[in-house]
Amino acid sequence: MKYFKKSAIKIGFAALLGGFFLTGCEDVIDLETETGPPQLVVDGWITNQPGPQTIKLTWSASYFDNTPAKPVLNAEVVVKDDKGTIYEFEDTAGNGQYIWQKTGDTLGHIGRKYTLTIKQGADTFTSSTEIKRVPAVDSIIYRKEKLPFEPDKGPREGYVAEFYARDLAGEGDTYWIKPVIRGKPEIKRATSISIAYDAAFSAGAPSDGLIFILPLRQSITTDSLYSAGNEVGVELHSITNEAFDFLSQVREQAGNGGLFATPIANIRSNVVNTNPAGPKALGFFGSSAISRMETTIDPAKARPDDD
Amino acid sequence: MKNRKIYLLLLLLGVCFQVNAQNRQTVSGYVKDKANGEGLIGVSVYVREAATGVVTNPYGFYSITLPSGNYTLVFSYIGYQKVTREVTLDADKTLSIEMEDESNQLQEVTVSTQREDENVRSIEMSVNKVEMKTIRKMPALLGEVDLIRSIQLLPGVTTVGEGASGFNVRGGDVSQNLVLLDEAPVYNSSHLFGFFSVFNPDAVKDVKLIKGGIPAQYGGRISSILDVRMKEGNSKKREVNGGIGTIFSRLTYEQPFAKGKGSFIVAGRRSYIDVLAKPFLNSDLKDSKFYFYDLTAKVNYQLGDKDTFYASGYFGKDVFGGGDFGFGWGNATATARWNHIFSNKLFMNLTGYYSNYDYSLGQNANDPNAKDKFDWKSKIISTSIKPDFTFYITPNNQLTFGGQYIYYDTRPGRALAVSEGQSTDISLDPKYADESAFYIGNEQKFSDRISMQYGIRYSYFRSLGPGTEYEYITDEIGKRKLPVFPGTEYKRGEKIKSYGNWEPRASLNIGVTSNASIKASYNRTAQYLHLLSNTAAASPLDVWTLSSPIIQPEKADQVALGWFQNLKDNTYEASVEVYYKKLYNQIDYIPASELLLNQFVAGDLLFGKGRAYGAEFYLKKNKGKLTGWISYTLSKTERQVESINNDDWFPARFDKPHNFTSVAIYEVGKRLSLSANFTITSGTPATFPTNRWEHGDWIIGNNYNNRRNNNRIPAYHRLDLAATLKSKKKLFKVGEGEWVLSFYNIYNRRNPFSIYTRVNEDNSLKTEAVRYAVIGSFIPAITYNFKF
Repeated sequence: MKYFKKSAIKIGFAALLGGFFLTGCEDVIDLETETGPPQLVVDGWITNQPGPQTIKLTWSASYFDNTPAKPVLNAEVVVKDDKGTIYEFEDTAGNGQYIWQKTGDTLGHIGRKYTLTIKQGADTFTSSTEIKRVPAVDSIIYRKEKLPFEPDKGPREGYVAEFYARDLAGEGDTYWIKPVIRGKPEIKRATSISIAYDAAFSAGAPSDGLIFILPLRQSITTDSLYSAGNEVGVELHSITNEAFDFLSQVREQAGNGGLFATPIANIRSNVVNTNPAGPKALGFFGSSAISRMETTIDPAKARPDDD
Repeated sequence: MKNRKIYLLLLLLGVCFQVNAQNRQTVSGYVKDKANGEGLIGVSVYVREAATGVVTNPYGFYSITLPSGNYTLVFSYIGYQKVTREVTLDADKTLSIEMEDESNQLQEVTVSTQREDENVRSIEMSVNKVEMKTIRKMPALLGEVDLIRSIQLLPGVTTVGEGASGFNVRGGDVSQNLVLLDEAPVYNSSHLFGFFSVFNPDAVKDVKLIKGGIPAQYGGRISSILDVRMKEGNSKKREVNGGIGTIFSRLTYEQPFAKGKGSFIVAGRRSYIDVLAKPFLNSDLKDSKFYFYDLTAKVNYQLGDKDTFYASGYFGKDVFGGGDFGFGWGNATATARWNHIFSNKLFMNLTGYYSNYDYSLGQNANDPNAKDKFDWKSKIISTSIKPDFTFYITPNNQLTFGGQYIYYDTRPGRALAVSEGQSTDISLDPKYADESAFYIGNEQKFSDRISMQYGIRYSYFRSLGPGTEYEYITDEIGKRKLPVFPGTEYKRGEKIKSYGNWEPRASLNIGVTSNASIKASYNRTAQYLHLLSNTAAASPLDVWTLSSPIIQPEKADQVALGWFQNLKDNTYEASVEVYYKKLYNQIDYIPASELLLNQFVAGDLLFGKGRAYGAEFYLKKNKGKLTGWISYTLSKTERQVESINNDDWFPARFDKPHNFTSVAIYEVGKRLSLSANFTITSGTPATFPTNRWEHGDWIIGNNYNNRRNNNRIPAYHRLDLAATLKSKKKLFKVGEGEWVLSFYNIYNRRNPFSIYTRVNEDNSLKTEAVRYAVIGSFIPAITYNFKF
C-alpha cells in the first residue's frame, strides 16, 4: 500500500472520513533512553561519475543529541579495486569528509569490485562492493493533477512527474531511484527512499526486463506536486542487493509509527571490524553506476490526465 | 510406540465402559428457552437422588442413564428460573424442557437446595462465558456492542492496543485463536481495521472462550477457542430487532415456520457514515467509498424427534476506495449441520462448512482499457466435514469421539501489474493442503468428588502439489535467506510434506468442599496455518500461510491449575488459576521483511519459541441488582527467536504484566440500567534507540545493545460508562424500545498505542519521541434499539 502515493492520499482521506470520530493523534513527548558509546559511522557511496568521490566518517551520538554528528578525524581511508589500483581518500578540510580527487581520472567503473579499508585508532574496518550495470533513462513526462483537498506541502494543483526506463534483462538487478530537484539528487526523508528489484519491488515478485512499474515511475514525485517551471529529473543508480536490503531497512525504520508499525531493528552495516571483538561500525559503503535525465516542467508539454 | 499408546487408551476406555448388570434407563431431551424456542447451551441437569448430573450440549441436548427408579431432575441455568421435574424411570424417556428468563419472573421462586455451582462442579477450567445479555449492557465504543472488545476484558486476555484487531490469550498471538462462528473458522474477525468485530450481537446466542484444558474435539489453533454460536431464530413467534447506532444500523428478523418445527433468522448491519457524508463531499470525492456491512442468516428445521437440520451463513465486507483506487476485504462462511439422535444415548452432529477470507487492492483494477493498472487479490478457502458423536454411557461416563477433514485452497497473492499497456503477472502460486483429525475423549466421574476429562486428538497435515518448493540458505542467521535453484517440482495432488501430531488433553476436578474445587489441566495443541504478520496490529492484508517443508507446525503445551469457589449461595463465583505455556515453532521476521507478493517469503521468516506464564484472579457476581466481575492477571509472555535480541528471550509485543479489568452492571429499576467498565493495564513493550547516526540527509536510530522490546510505554487506563433506558413510548405502537447512552474513555485520557521515535518534520537534525494514541479523546454515543 505504501507504494500508492496518490491513491494513498485518497484512501487516507476516505478512511479519515470513515473514522472521523476516531481521533487518532500524535504528540511529541519527552523520553528518557539509555545511551551507548559512540561508534564509527561510514557514509560512503562511490560512483562511476568523473570527479571527486567522498567518504564521510562521523561518530554516532546519543539519540536525542540534536547537533550535527561529530567528524572522525585522522583516519586512514583507502579504496582498492580488483585490478589492484589504490585510491587514497584525504580529509583535507578536517571535517570528516575524506575525498579522493585526481584530475582526468574516474574512480568507479561498471563491473569492478572495490574494497574499503579504514584505519581508525587501533581498529581496522573493511568493506567491499561492486559497481553494477545500469540502464538508460528513456524519458520524463508529467501530468496535471488536482488534489481533492489542500495538501500540507506544495500546490493543490500541479504536476506529477514520471520517468521511463527499462530494467536490463537478467534477474536480480537492484536500483535506487533518486528524484533530482533543481539539479541535485535529493532524498530528504528516508521514508521516501525508492528502490527497485528488477522493474518492481522484490525478488519474490518477478519483473525482469520490464519498464519500471507505475508506482516506481512516479516515485520522483515525493511529498508535493511540481509547478510549472520547476526543474525535475531522475538519477537511476545501480546498487548491490546488499545495498537494496540496507535501504529498505532504513526506509522501514523511518516509517515505524501507527497501527501497523513493524518492530524496529538495528540496521545491518556492511563495514566490519577486522577484530571481531573490537567495536562495531555503523553505516554503509556502497557504489553505483548512474543514469540521469532532467527536464523543466512546461504546461504545454504536459500529458493529458488519463485518470 | 504410537500403537501402544492407542491400545492403552482403548484399554482405559474399555474399563470405563463396563456397564453395570443392573437395569438402566435413559432420560434424554432438549432444553429450550420458553420465550423463543432457542436451544440452551450448558444448562445443568442434576439428578437429586443420584447426586449426579450432566450439562446440555451446544444444541441443548442432554441424556442421562440411571438405574430404574423415581428421580427428581433439576434444570438450572444462570439468568433463568429453575425447573424441577419428577421422573419415573421404568423405560427410556424423553423429557424436553422449556426454561423461562428470570426477568420474567413475577415472584421469587426458590425451589431447590441444589446450587448453580457449575463453575465449581464442571471439569471445565480456563473457560469464560459471557452472556450476550451482559455484553449488551456493557459500555461499548461508539455504542456498538462488540463481542471481541468484551472478550478483551476477561482474565488472561490482552490486546496490543486500542483499535487492534483480534485478541491475545495467555501469551498467544492473534492468529493462534480459533474463532468459530457456528463451527466455521473466521479468518479475520474485524471491520474497519479492527475497531469493530464481525459478529452481529443481535444474531449471537452464546459465546465461550476456552483458554486452557481444551477438549479433544477442538484443534487447529494452539492458544484458544472462541466458540460463537448463532441464534436459531425464534420458533414461537415473529420477532424483529433493530437499532440505529453511531456506526451501524441493524435489523434482525426471526420467524417460525412449519408450526414451530423450524425457524429462521436474518440479521444485517451496515455502516452509514458514507451515506450521511455524501452531500458534503466535493466532486473529486463524490466517488469515495467507505463502508462495511455484514449479513448473518440461519435456518433450522426439526424433522421428527431424532433429527434437526441447521444451515447458517455469514457474509461481510469492508470497502474503501476513491476514484480509480479500491481496497476491500471480507469473510464468508456457510455451515450445514445435522443433529441426529441414534439412540437416546448416542447423539451425533455432522457439520460441513465452507469459510472464505479474501481481500483485494487495486488501481484501475476493473477497467479493462487502463494503460496502467494494478490488481491484487488474495484469499483462503477452507472446506471441511466434521462428525462429532457423544455417547452418554452412564452418568459417570460421557464419551465423545469424532473427526474432521479440512481442505485448504489458498491464493496467497494474485497480482497483475500493467505498465504502459504491458502487463506483468506477479502472482504467487496457489497452495493446497489438507488436514485430518480424529479424537476420542471421555468425561468420567470417579466419585462424588473426583471427575476427569481425558482424551487424545491426532492431527495429520499434508501440504499438496502442484507447487515448487525451495531450500533456503543464508551466510548469516537473521539475514534474508535465498532460495536454491532449481526447486523441487510437485505434481497435482502429490504430497509435498506431511506432519502428524498426537495431542493429548486432560482435565481433572477434585471437589474440596461442596462449593470449592481444585482443577488441573494439560493440553497439547498443533497449528498448521500461520498468519504472517509483522505489524503491531494485525492488518487485513496479512496472509494465512500453510505449513510447508520450511514452515513447521506451531505447537503448544499448556498446564493450568486452579482453585474454584462459589460464595453466598452462588451469588459470587471466584477463581484463581495459574498457567504455564510453552510454544514451539513460533514465527518472526527479518528486518524489512517482504511478506506480501513474495514467492520466497519463507526466506524472510525466522523461527523460535515462546513461553508464557501467569496467574488469573477472577471474581464474578451473578445475582442481584449489581452484577459484573473483577479480574486481575499477572503474567509474562516471552519469545526467543534466532538472531533477535542477541538470541535472548524478549517480551512479546502484547506482553502486559499487570492487567486489571472490572465490569459492573446495575439494574436501577425495571426501565433503567447503568454500567461501567474500568481497565488498567501495563503499557506494552517498545524498542527505543539509544543512539543516532547520520547517513546522507538521514538520521538513523540504533540500539546499542541490539535489544528488542527493552522498554515499556506508560500504563493504559480507561473508564467507560453507559446507561440503558427502556422507553415508555412504543415504537410502531407495539414492542419495546430502548435508548443506550455510552461514554467511552470518560476522563479523556490519551492512552498511547505506541511510542516511537522519528526525525522532526521541519528540522532534519532533530530527533523526537512521539506518543501515538488511536483514540485520543472521550467519545460519547447514543443508540436506539427496538424490538417487536
